Amino acid sequence: MSTAQGQAIFRDVPASPPKKPHIGQRAWQARADYLYVAPAILVMLIVIAYPIYYTIELSFFNTPANLQLSQKQWTGLSNYTAILSSPVFWKVTWQTLVWTVLSTFFAFVLGLGAALSLHREFVGRAFLRGLLLVPWVVSAVAASYVWKWLYHSDFGAISAMLTAAGLIDKPINFVDNTQTSLYALIVVNIWKEFSFAMIMLMAGLQTVPEQLLRAAQVDGASPWQRFWHVTFPHLSGVSTVTVLLLVVQNFNSFIIPFIMTGGGPVGSTQIWITHIYELAFLRQRWGLGAAYAVLLFLIMMTLGYFYVRALTRGDESRAG
Amino acid sequence: MEQSPTTRRIDGWRWSGRLFLTFLLGFTVMPMAWMFITSLKTGFAAMQYPPQWWPAEPTLENYWRLIDPSSSVGQDFLHYFWNSMWVSTLTTVLAVAVAVPAAYAFSRFRFPGRNFLFFAVLLRNMFPAVVFLVPLFILMKVLGLVNTHGSLVLTYLTFGLPLAIWLLKGFYDNIPIQLEQAARIDGATRFQAFFLIVMPLSTPGIIATSIYSFIGAWNEYIYAYTFLTKHDQMTLPVGIQRFFSENATDWPGLMAATFLMSVPVVVLFLVLQRYFVRALTEGAVKH
Amino acid sequence: MAEVVLKDVVKSYGSIYAVNHVSLKVEDGEFVALVGPSGCGKTTTLNLVAGLIPLTRGEIWIGDREVSGLDPKDRDIAMVFQNYALYPNKSVYKNLAFPLQMRRLGRAEIDSKVQAAAKVLDITHLLERKPRELSGGQQQRVALGRALVRDPRAFLMDEPLSNLDAKLRVQMRSEIKRFHQDMKATVIYVTHDQLEAVTMADKMAVMNGGFLQQYDSPANVFANPVNMFVASFIGSPAMSLIPLEAGSDGGTTVLRSPEGWSFALDGRNAAKVAKAKGKRVVLGARHSTVRLLPNAEPGTVPGKVYTVEPTGDVTFAQVFVSGALVNVSLPPTYAIRPDETVNVLFDQARMHLFDGETEMALTA
Ligand SMILES: Nc1ncnc2c1ncn2[C@@H]1O[C@H](COP(=O)(O)OP(=O)(O)OP(=O)(O)O)[C@@H](O)[C@H]1O
Ligand SMILES: [Mg+2]
Repeated sequence: MSTAQGQAIFRDVPASPPKKPHIGQRAWQARADYLYVAPAILVMLIVIAYPIYYTIELSFFNTPANLQLSQKQWTGLSNYTAILSSPVFWKVTWQTLVWTVLSTFFAFVLGLGAALSLHREFVGRAFLRGLLLVPWVVSAVAASYVWKWLYHSDFGAISAMLTAAGLIDKPINFVDNTQTSLYALIVVNIWKEFSFAMIMLMAGLQTVPEQLLRAAQVDGASPWQRFWHVTFPHLSGVSTVTVLLLVVQNFNSFIIPFIMTGGGPVGSTQIWITHIYELAFLRQRWGLGAAYAVLLFLIMMTLGYFYVRALTRGDESRAG
Repeated sequence: MEQSPTTRRIDGWRWSGRLFLTFLLGFTVMPMAWMFITSLKTGFAAMQYPPQWWPAEPTLENYWRLIDPSSSVGQDFLHYFWNSMWVSTLTTVLAVAVAVPAAYAFSRFRFPGRNFLFFAVLLRNMFPAVVFLVPLFILMKVLGLVNTHGSLVLTYLTFGLPLAIWLLKGFYDNIPIQLEQAARIDGATRFQAFFLIVMPLSTPGIIATSIYSFIGAWNEYIYAYTFLTKHDQMTLPVGIQRFFSENATDWPGLMAATFLMSVPVVVLFLVLQRYFVRALTEGAVKH
Repeated sequence: MAEVVLKDVVKSYGSIYAVNHVSLKVEDGEFVALVGPSGCGKTTTLNLVAGLIPLTRGEIWIGDREVSGLDPKDRDIAMVFQNYALYPNKSVYKNLAFPLQMRRLGRAEIDSKVQAAAKVLDITHLLERKPRELSGGQQQRVALGRALVRDPRAFLMDEPLSNLDAKLRVQMRSEIKRFHQDMKATVIYVTHDQLEAVTMADKMAVMNGGFLQQYDSPANVFANPVNMFVASFIGSPAMSLIPLEAGSDGGTTVLRSPEGWSFALDGRNAAKVAKAKGKRVVLGARHSTVRLLPNAEPGTVPGKVYTVEPTGDVTFAQVFVSGALVNVSLPPTYAIRPDETVNVLFDQARMHLFDGETEMALTA
């Protein structure tokens, strides 16, 4: 054949695939890559892995109030059985559920409403968005004090406003009342975090394709139909992440009940975390507190599984 | 001109939107406004029912007291303020320094264990601060960090990291690798390619994660409450509480203090919020 | 400028070979087009030469220097990327200046070189713009400019024209060609577009599945494809390939169809067929070497028309022959209808024969 200078160098090598390198080999080849993540992982290890290990260990022991670990006694599962058989556990769990579900639901709904109302361009939109975000930015400590003052039994502005509006005739004691305290705190929590849902959903809304909405409009869809059939499905990914984060955040709430009521009155605003705090720090029942914490880990890991799944959906296709 | 039913329906939709926004705005602003109004009152004026909706004699006395370095209250407050500022700033700088390389590696490299580590980082947010108090306190004791700001910085770092890494990774995912390759061919080292080309493109993400870290550190209460027992170390959220428990009825003073405590983060956030929204949109939500 | 040599280069990702034992020598000042189907390893090859990814095995030389382990910045090559890879936050001027800054040139020198390159590419008026404010063609020039400001030892271009519309592509093609001639540049140019390869390149390297299939002048690759892959990949419409069986009919070598018919080969083709490993032989015919005759004659074989596509000056027909589709070009006046039965004649002097077992071209 007449290829120039015998340069046809096609080689009839069968493409026998090389063996996939051993995981250790691959890790060794990628050793430089680990340097980039090492600081982050190291910090995480110190601040998370060790406490988890420690908590699990503690949950199987009775540890004296002074936390002298050398004197701890193995008690097996008795901390767990003690928790599950205590009526307080069920009361606190019920209150935690009410707290989490109501907070999440209303924060999400208000956040969604705000995101939708703010989606259109109008003068002052950025300012309004900023204003609505302020509760999310201020510290929960500040929020707790302000609301405590608003709810004040003698000089509270909320009672005064309701009186002025003719809805009540004497000040209500919102916080020091077992009937209303939990709901009063839930309102504070919603105030504090609805704008987190808002900002997430606003970001999500910007990814809804404009053309699709136009097409639906041309097809005669009403605003509600457009929202329900076009916008909302597009938000499902962000919504899942947002709701999960809200649930986790609410389940783990501490500051608002701790500062506003300390769990009272009569335990009516006690939720899991404040209860754990009370057991461990106020009553030095370290083993019980740790066992509670382990149960909480289990719940959180379940939620975490869904969270990571929702978060990384599309990640693989994006990272290629 | 006659309105078609659809136009009217859209109007109805729009008006209910406005009504909703107005309600929400009232709900949001009312507590903050009340915080500010109360802070302008004297202790006596605050203790009235029905309250004075606007103080008859507004006074800045509560603020002067807090920022007067010659009074003991002012001394404490300013001290807490600088402690908070220092801890938050250090946390932010370190969080960015740690998050940037990690996010970059998670985006660009395919090392074994990458997914596991990435998920592990994201899972940080699942764990409430309270349940880690005891072990971390013991750990800090071992490390000799109790009653130092180091204990707080180390812990706070991990709050911001998951979001920071996630957001920044989103940014790096969207920056074509060819840009870095082009830079390297143009004569840049790997590091120059990163610092001169990639970093500037992720600025919104870096700003956003900085804000997030800063605000998180500034507002943190539980660890500061536990790790710091000496009052000259305390940060604002804890310090304010202490200050309040000593003057249990000084609501105007407390409101002035919470107001001052909120100012830095609110201003920071309002100025930079567009980066935050942009970072969420470009870095995280968009796939 | 310098020559570029690849010696037995291998790149594997886990268990797949992206580039498989490729050896290639690009002479100083030569323009080589790298072609092949998507995923065949073109970009990987280019990235290996540039040093953007590490070699698994083999050597790469640029000029008289082995560069296999060197960083891209030390290889002194320039590269134009498929998506241009302009730095989005830098102005055009800064994009062009970047490679010079990295090489620590003085400000005055940088300015004069940037201005000179901008002038050549006619982008002087765009220097202050950001890349997103440019059209595709303008971005392309800037990308080219960033390669031009330096005086590299070789240019690598990865489908630089694939994002442009047809008209711009033709224009840029001739500009790149002229630039190559003016600079006497060594260029490795990846493209999907055969026409680009044929019109611009001194040599063509055809790749498939990580293997280099053939490396030769475009004319030779077209005239003498080394195997069935190259034969069917180069040329448009593609060369038709008809699997047949070699046999003999009273001493003459014939090719026989499973449909029963056969036709005799001339002496040269018979000699080729004799070299086949087995009986299976594949007949290759380009559209211009196939004729349709009104009547059955010695050497013709039966076929059935499948589609007819008039394009103006030529009519292309596809004809079923022995179960394979054969492309035929016909004068526009030729009357022919789908489903018609026709007599197909292959030009013995210009037909290709391939070994059905190895898929390699059979040579006399
Ligand atoms: N980082 C990588 N990891 C694993 N496989 C890869 C990687 N990069 C490329 N490959 C694989 O190597 C092969 C060659 O890829 P390459 O990008 O070189 O193809 P190409 O010829 O440039 O294709 P195209 O014409 O589509 O650009 C493909 O099968 C591809 O999937
Ligand atoms: Mg390619």
